[in-house]
Amino acid sequence: VTGTGAVLGGPVPIGPRLLLLVPARSYRAADFLLAAARMGLDLIVASDGALPIGGRPVIHVNPADPDGSIHRILARSGPVAAVVAADTPMLMLAAAVAERLGLPHNPADAVLNAADKARQRQRWAAAGVAQPRFEIVPAAADDVIRQAAEAVGFPCVVKAVSLSASQGILRADDPAAAVTAARRIRQILAAARRPHGEPLVVEEYLPGPELSIDGLLVGGDLTVTAIFDKPGMPDGPTFEETLLVTPSRLPPPVLAAAIATAGQAARALGLTRGPVHAELRIDDRGGQPRPAMLELAARCIGGLCSRALRFPGGKTLEELVLASALGRSVGAGWSGGHCQQVPAGHEPVRPAGVFMLPVPQSGVLRAVEGRDAALAVPGVTGLTITIPIGRHVDPLPGGDRYLGFIFAEGNTPEQAEQALAAARGRLRAVIQ
Amino acid sequence: MTDLAAQVTAALERGLLPSVIARGGAVRVAAAENGIVTLEVTGSPGAVLPLASRIEGVIRAAVPGITAVRLVTPGAGPARPSPEDPGDLAGAARRILDAEVNPAIAAHRGHVTVAGVTDGWLRIRLEGGCQGCSLAEVTVRQGIEPLLRSRLPAMIGLADVTDHEAGTDPFFSPEKR
Repeated sequence: VTGTGAVLGGPVPIGPRLLLLVPARSYRAADFLLAAARMGLDLIVASDGALPIGGRPVIHVNPADPDGSIHRILARSGPVAAVVAADTPMLMLAAAVAERLGLPHNPADAVLNAADKARQRQRWAAAGVAQPRFEIVPAAADDVIRQAAEAVGFPCVVKAVSLSASQGILRADDPAAAVTAARRIRQILAAARRPHGEPLVVEEYLPGPELSIDGLLVGGDLTVTAIFDKPGMPDGPTFEETLLVTPSRLPPPVLAAAIATAGQAARALGLTRGPVHAELRIDDRGGQPRPAMLELAARCIGGLCSRALRFPGGKTLEELVLASALGRSVGAGWSGGHCQQVPAGHEPVRPAGVFMLPVPQSGVLRAVEGRDAALAVPGVTGLTITIPIGRHVDPLPGGDRYLGFIFAEGNTPEQAEQALAAARGRLRAVIQ
Repeated sequence: MTDLAAQVTAALERGLLPSVIARGGAVRVAAAENGIVTLEVTGSPGAVLPLASRIEGVIRAAVPGITAVRLVTPGAGPARPSPEDPGDLAGAARRILDAEVNPAIAAHRGHVTVAGVTDGWLRIRLEGGCQGCSLAEVTVRQGIEPLLRSRLPAMIGLADVTDHEAGTDPFFSPEKR
C-alpha cells in the first residue's frame, strides 16, 4: 500500500532539480507538484500565474514572451536536470527553455504540429498515417465549406484547429449543416479570441468505437501507459467525452494496431520524448476494424482523468512523466521497441474509469445535488466538482469546461463503468 | 503480514487508497494487533488528515475486530504533542502569514488563516481568490510550506484543510485540455 512520499516531519529528500512550467489555468498543477514531492525532487516552479512568495518563490514566466521568460529562469533556477510542461500552454516555452539549457527536448516545430489540428492532418497525410479524409479550409467562405464537406463526404465533422476538449467540433450531415456548423465554430473562435481567419478542418466522420492512448516517448519510441475505451461516445452533433474506462476491452489485435498507429502519428509530428495523448476511432466499416487518428497532443490526458490511473507501487501518471523526463526507465519490460505494447507489470493496478460531467445547458451553476449518494455507490473512489457554484457555464460546442469528475474502480472494466454510470445517475446539476 | 493487517490493507485498497494517493499521500499498515491498527502515513499531510475519520470508518466497517486507528509518521513515532505549545505555534505561524504571505496574495484577492494546530501539525485555510484556485497547490507547496518550515522548526507538517470545491471566486479556474 505504500507510495513514494516525502517523509513528513523528517528531512525532505532532495533528488534531482526539475523545472516545472505550470500554466495558471490548469487542472494539472496539483498532481505534478504532488508527484514531485513523492519523488523527493528538488522542484523549481515557473508560472504565469502564481505569486512570488515564500522561501522558494515561483519564477514568473509568460509563454508569449519566451525570451524574457528564459532570461528570468536562467537567472533564478540554477542548473536543472529536466524541464517539464504541466499542460499545453507551456509546451513551447518548455521546449525553448530546454534547448537553451542544453537539455533533451521536443523540436519546437513538433510541438507546433501537435498543437494545430490542421498541421497534424497534413503531417499525417505526408507520412501515410491512417486518418479520416480531410480538407483544410482557410478563412472559409460558405461555398468553400460546402465544397470541402462534399469532398470528404457526409456525414462530416467541422473542427476548429486550435481548440481542445471537444470545443468547436460539430458533425454535419449535409451541405447546409456544414455551413451552419462552420459559422457557429467561427463564433466560438471569436469568443475564444483566436486569430481572425484561423482555418477550419472539415473531415470525414468515422463511425466506430473511440479510444484514447496515453504513452511516453523516449527517443521516438512509444511506451503505452494507459488505454481508455470511451463507451457512450456520442455520434454528434457535439462530441462530449464523458466516460473513460481502462483497460480497453477491444480485441488485442485491434489494440496493437491502434498503438502502432499512435506511435507512427507521434513520430510523424516530429515528437521524440515526453507524454502523448492520442485519440483514435476504430473505423468498423467494411467489417475490418481499422484504427484512424483523430488527434494527438504532446501532453498527458487532460483534466483530472489521470487520477483514475494507478501504477505498481502506487505511482501516478505524473510520476512516470517526471521520471521519464529525468531519463529514468518508466517500467519493467522496456525494451526500446519501435512502438511497444503496455509493458509487463506496468498496467494500471485495477480496472478504473472516470466520468467527466458535461454541462447540460447554459446558465449559472447553482448546485450539484446528490454528491453523497454518488460517493456511496460501491466502487466509486472520488468525486470532484471543478466549476465554482455561481459561475456561468455553457455546453459544447461553445463551452470549454466540465462540471467535474467521478472516479471509480472495479474488479473488471464493466464494474468500473457500471459504478460510474450509477453515480452519474445520482447527481443532478442545478443550472438556472 | 498478519491476517488482520491483510484485511485492513484490503479495505484501504478497495475504498480509500486512490483518494489518498491522488492527493499526494500514502498509507501503509505498520501494525494491527489487539484491535488497534497503526497506519504509517507519508507524503502530503493534506492528503491524509482530511480523510482520517473516513479512513477509520472504512476500516472499522470492513474489519469488525478493529476498535481504534492510529496514524503515525515515519521517524516521528506515534502522533505526539509538539514540544512547543500549540498556541505558540499557531500564533507564530499567524504572524508569519500575516506579515509575509497575506500582503502578497491579497493581489489575487486571497487570504490564508491558521485553522488550528494538533500534535505539531499546522492546519491552514485558504480563502477568497485562493479557495479553489488552480494554483493553490503551488502557493501552498512552493510558497507557504517552505517559508513556515524554515521559520518554525516545531512544525511537524502543514495541512491545507480548505474546502476548495466550495470556493466561489477562485482567481484562476482550470480549463479542460
